[in-house]
Amino acid sequence: MEILLQLLFSGIALGMIYAVIAFGYQLTFATSGTLNFGQGEALMLGALVGLSLVSTIHGGPYLNFWLMIPVVMVFGALQGAVVEWIGVRPAIKAKSEFGWIMSTIALAIIFKNVAENIWGKDDLTFPSPVSATPFHVFGANVQLMQVLVVIGAIAMMLAVELFNRKSIYGKAVVATSNDPDAAGLMGINTGMVITFSYALSSATAAFAGVLVAPLTLTGATMGTSLGLKAFAVAIIGGLTSGMGAVVGGLILGISETLTGFYVSTGYKEVPGLVLLLLVLAIKPAGLFGKAAIKKV
Amino acid sequence: MLSISNLHAAYGKVEVLHGISLEVPKGKVVTLIGSNGAGKTTTMRAISGMIKPVSGTVMLGGKDITGLDSHRISRAGLAHSPEGRRVFSTMSVNDNLMLGAFPRLTGSRPKGDVNADLEKAMELFPRLKERRTQLAGTLSGGEQQMLAMARAVMLNPDVILLDEPSMGLAPILVDEVFRIIRNLKERGVTMLLVEQFAAAALNVADHGYVLENGRIAVSGPAEKLRDDPAVKAAYLGG
Ligand SMILES: Nc1ncnc2c1ncn2[C@@H]1O[C@H](COP(=O)(O)OP(=O)(O)OP(=O)(O)O)[C@@H](O)[C@H]1O
Ligand SMILES: [Mg+2]
Repeated sequence: MEILLQLLFSGIALGMIYAVIAFGYQLTFATSGTLNFGQGEALMLGALVGLSLVSTIHGGPYLNFWLMIPVVMVFGALQGAVVEWIGVRPAIKAKSEFGWIMSTIALAIIFKNVAENIWGKDDLTFPSPVSATPFHVFGANVQLMQVLVVIGAIAMMLAVELFNRKSIYGKAVVATSNDPDAAGLMGINTGMVITFSYALSSATAAFAGVLVAPLTLTGATMGTSLGLKAFAVAIIGGLTSGMGAVVGGLILGISETLTGFYVSTGYKEVPGLVLLLLVLAIKPAGLFGKAAIKKV
Repeated sequence: MLSISNLHAAYGKVEVLHGISLEVPKGKVVTLIGSNGAGKTTTMRAISGMIKPVSGTVMLGGKDITGLDSHRISRAGLAHSPEGRRVFSTMSVNDNLMLGAFPRLTGSRPKGDVNADLEKAMELFPRLKERRTQLAGTLSGGEQQMLAMARAVMLNPDVILLDEPSMGLAPILVDEVFRIIRNLKERGVTMLLVEQFAAAALNVADHGYVLENGRIAVSGPAEKLRDDPAVKAAYLGG
């Protein structure tokens, strides 16, 4: 029983990481109908930049963990803006339906190579900002960092939701997702909104990176499978629903930890991905989605 | 106020407007009439930046706005209530109206009193008043049309382009739309109006232009056009 509970807790923490990255996919999809397939690499870069800031590997530490978070998010935002600027804007301008897929993947590979050159190919250890000694909840071991992951993920998504609903700039983002031409007529610079959504999406991923890094190994390859699985989550949950991202993330996270323990770690990803295939077959728009992938 | 000269516009390689010139003086209502496909909507799109004109010039209050992005033209003071309403369907009536004032709320146009203008818009468009928190997508067609017009008014613009505000509305609502246009005119709002109800449009307008196949065929004071036999035969039902 304790073991089951413990697996559930780990699954929830992992699932919320998937949810935040999936949420990032949704942000750019909403404004531009495009996705950043380098979302996992944005996460990886965030984690590694964070590591350089808080550890000794590059002559630091320069900042403590908490002060590092905003710096990493600014870095993520700039990185996302660069992706939009180089990879996506030209494709949107040329009305190329698939150009952005190629270019965001190409940029992802480049970012991974750059990271391998700066931080090496081996996995590094990210110092935990809080005590790694687990405490007990109903007899199950829980790490404080896992709790922080869940809180951080929820806080991030709520903050974006609040921004979209309450501020006039957030409303401009929602208007652009509704109808970009009409948004332009309102005086909204929709090109800027798309750049902003890429910046926000990568900042979110970078944030997820520093949240997850203390719980896993940190290195140039850490983002690829996270990004891919979060993509599965975004599809399962629906590309238009924040709630879908959370539910999809939890389904995949929990099914992964349970399968990893009760069946075999070798198969831990299978149930979630089978679910993805089922969702795609039965409800292509996702569990909570309104529309399937629309054209650019 | 708005001055268009020798405007050419195209979709892809197909030229649709072949050199349009028209004037919308300050405080006046000018109507553009013409049959389906004549290029009325295209003219409005080329003015407001939804499409880029091929050549020609568009001047707004002495400022050259030709070929600017639509958000710049909006910030320069031109509001466009587009064909097909295009309200933000997942957002509330209030939010739609606030977005109409986006350039004012973000410092690219004089702010004035946005909240007071919101209340004024509610007086002018009473149907919106009791639906302030309703999502725009759940409004009836007529209500959406009122919202699209009110949203344009919220910019406090120098000129408003209205593209078929009565499209698809029941007769009683068409009357209401024209009542509102008249009301706006009395407040001194400058408007360029495209309407399928040419007779009604010429009644409220000061000046009219008749567009045929992307060219201005006839133009003149509205009362003159109302009595023009050719215009009567073609657009006013004999
Ligand atoms: N997006 C587009 N792509 C290609 N051609 C277009 C497009 N929009 C309009 N056209 C063409 O341009 C011409 C003018 O169309 P426009 O919509 O300006 O006419 P209109 O006078 O507004 O007609 P209506 O009274 O039906 O609204 C038409 O021949 C139309 O087929
Ligand atoms: Mg039209």
